[in-house]
Amino acid sequence: MKERNKPILEVKGLKTHFTTKRGVSKAVDGIDFTLHKGETLGIVGESGCGKSMTSLSILRLIPSPPGKIAGGSVLFKGRDLVTMPEDEMRKIRGNEISMIFQEPMTSLNPVIPVGEQIAEALRLHQKMGKKAAWDKSVEMLKMVGIPSPEKRAKQEPFQLSGGMRQRVMIAMALACTPEVLIADEPTTALDVTIQAQILELIKELQTKIGMGVIMITHDLGVVAETCDKVAVMYAGNIVEHASTEQIFADPKHPYTQGLLNSLPKIHEDQEELITIDGSVPSPYNMPAGCRFASRCPYAEDICAAHQPDLVSYSEDIKVRCWKYTDKWTGKRDKEGVV
Amino acid sequence: MLMFILRRILQTIPVIIGVTFVVFFIMQLVPGDPAVLLAGEGASKETIEAIREQLGLNQPLYIQYFEYLTNVFKGDLGVSLKNSQPVLDEILVRLPITIELAFFSIIITIVLGMAAGIISAVKPYSLTDVSVMLVALLGISLPSFWFGLMLMYFFSVKLQILPVAGWDSLLHVILPAITLGAGGAAIVARMTRSSMLEVIRQDYIRTARAKGLRERIIIYKHALRNALIPVITVVGLQFGALLGGTVLVESIFAINGLGRMIVDAIRMRDLPMVQGGVLFASLIFVVVNLFVDVFYRFFNKRIELN
Ligand SMILES: Nc1ncnc2c1ncn2[C@@H]1O[C@H](COP(=O)(O)OP(=O)(O)OP(=O)(O)O)[C@@H](O)[C@H]1O
Ligand code: SF4
Ligand SMILES: [Mg+2]
Repeated sequence: MKERNKPILEVKGLKTHFTTKRGVSKAVDGIDFTLHKGETLGIVGESGCGKSMTSLSILRLIPSPPGKIAGGSVLFKGRDLVTMPEDEMRKIRGNEISMIFQEPMTSLNPVIPVGEQIAEALRLHQKMGKKAAWDKSVEMLKMVGIPSPEKRAKQEPFQLSGGMRQRVMIAMALACTPEVLIADEPTTALDVTIQAQILELIKELQTKIGMGVIMITHDLGVVAETCDKVAVMYAGNIVEHASTEQIFADPKHPYTQGLLNSLPKIHEDQEELITIDGSVPSPYNMPAGCRFASRCPYAEDICAAHQPDLVSYSEDIKVRCWKYTDKWTGKRDKEGVV
Repeated sequence: MLMFILRRILQTIPVIIGVTFVVFFIMQLVPGDPAVLLAGEGASKETIEAIREQLGLNQPLYIQYFEYLTNVFKGDLGVSLKNSQPVLDEILVRLPITIELAFFSIIITIVLGMAAGIISAVKPYSLTDVSVMLVALLGISLPSFWFGLMLMYFFSVKLQILPVAGWDSLLHVILPAITLGAGGAAIVARMTRSSMLEVIRQDYIRTARAKGLRERIIIYKHALRNALIPVITVVGLQFGALLGGTVLVESIFAINGLGRMIVDAIRMRDLPMVQGGVLFASLIFVVVNLFVDVFYRFFNKRIELN
């Protein structure tokens, strides 16, 4: 993939920490990625690895306290969102950068008609009049495939099914034609057919308005279908970053390899799902070395001692693993490791 | 919804019958023979017997009760022992005064309570929040007779800007209504605050923020409407407590309402009057609860179905 001029979103060394009674949880611990116009970046990783917190940090929506952006920068068209004054940040939220949340059932206000929930953003950011904003929100509902949108717009969320609510969320996020859309598991709560429709819809709109999309998911099928490039997250870090083809054809990081191995393979008659043994380290107590070391089949002495950096393996591939450095000794058969 | 209202109205019937039952037995629980009481001191045996005959006191209790019940439904609450006037007439004079007092008090409870709760919740743990909640705690713990007397002392005796007692103008309403509404306002304030803090953590508030809305709109448009739903129940309960409070406040401020009537009647051992007063107070309570339930159900419907 060719680097297209300047990225619209550039995340550098982003850290988000939660200070609680148990200590400091390093939920996001130094994340770097870039997003260009019209591009889709997938972020994948197990539950709790920090995907949602990364995306909430970009819009500065981390619940605070206990959360806090502890370091790094988020450059949006060259301006740093982390240090931007709140009232300027508000002009970007929902207007230039929008977000679809993971929880469609609870993310809509239960006592406000859904049409109004879309229209208020239009009145605010696009300075539309009451009537124009309402008409536009009905139009948005129609566009996301909600039947009889005039009627639905006047209804409250409890009158809508889960699939429809998620469509409303999408309509809301897209109403102001944002330049960046962050979609946090936009389809997890939905059944397969609706899931496909919604992904199709996002893609369609993306080509139409050329927005950059960050697609957060733990479904590698969704990644294969929609993403140009993928960042694999593990315990608050990115462990591998490469184009989608590259990731699927030749994953470098042992964790990525494990993830792909755990996919059911349709063409081989293999019934059993392979899962990665062991568990993720606690974000309150991260090991000093590689965070995947306790589960990694290749781990060597250096892995437990020092954390590897995210380094370029080739022009397009970045990986955080000692195996791909010249510090690697190559003796794989360590005691106690399968 | 209509079914619910209908069912809810039907449910009040056994409650009302229960109330009449209790009220009827107040009479029975009073020590001494009612006929003797009614006849007054020094009455002859014949007079007492005649009264007993006349009131049906010779009949078995359940027949007496059914008689009482039929009379109540006919609107006959008996006559006052004091002046032989029908109890109902007296109640109908007193009732509007108490309703007026209760109305203004509940307005104070709602407006003051919600405003204080919102102010607190917007900046939790701030100096404002801590002070407001401290005052609210005081408001709950202060006995209302003391609070009423204090208000009277400052505003009527010292500053002389408000009338001491009576019920002639709207100015007369202010102090009693504050006295009566303050405790409820304190409870509503605490409830509003905790409900707001709970709502502010919800996903849909995050959605509202993600839209770029101003904090003020997030609070008043998105959070408040949801936060007030549980507050409605508390207001309803407060209304009940407030009705009980009218007895005290009417006595302090010399207001001739239903509450004071009941107190006077008790003092005079005017039993039919006590019965009638208590019956009406209970009916108001039942009706208010009915309204609160329907209201709450209406607001809560969408949340329940979520
Ligand atoms: N309110 C909080 N207090 C303390 N820690 C928190 C809080 N919210 C999130 N975290 C921490 O942030 C980490 C990352 O959470 P996040 O929601 O980003 O995971 P995720 O990758 O989105 O997972 P999922 O796939 O389940 O959505 C969690 O492991 C948790 O330790
Ligand atoms: S650094 Fe070592 S432990 Fe970590 S993934 Fe690479 S080989 Fe495994
Ligand atoms: Mg998540």
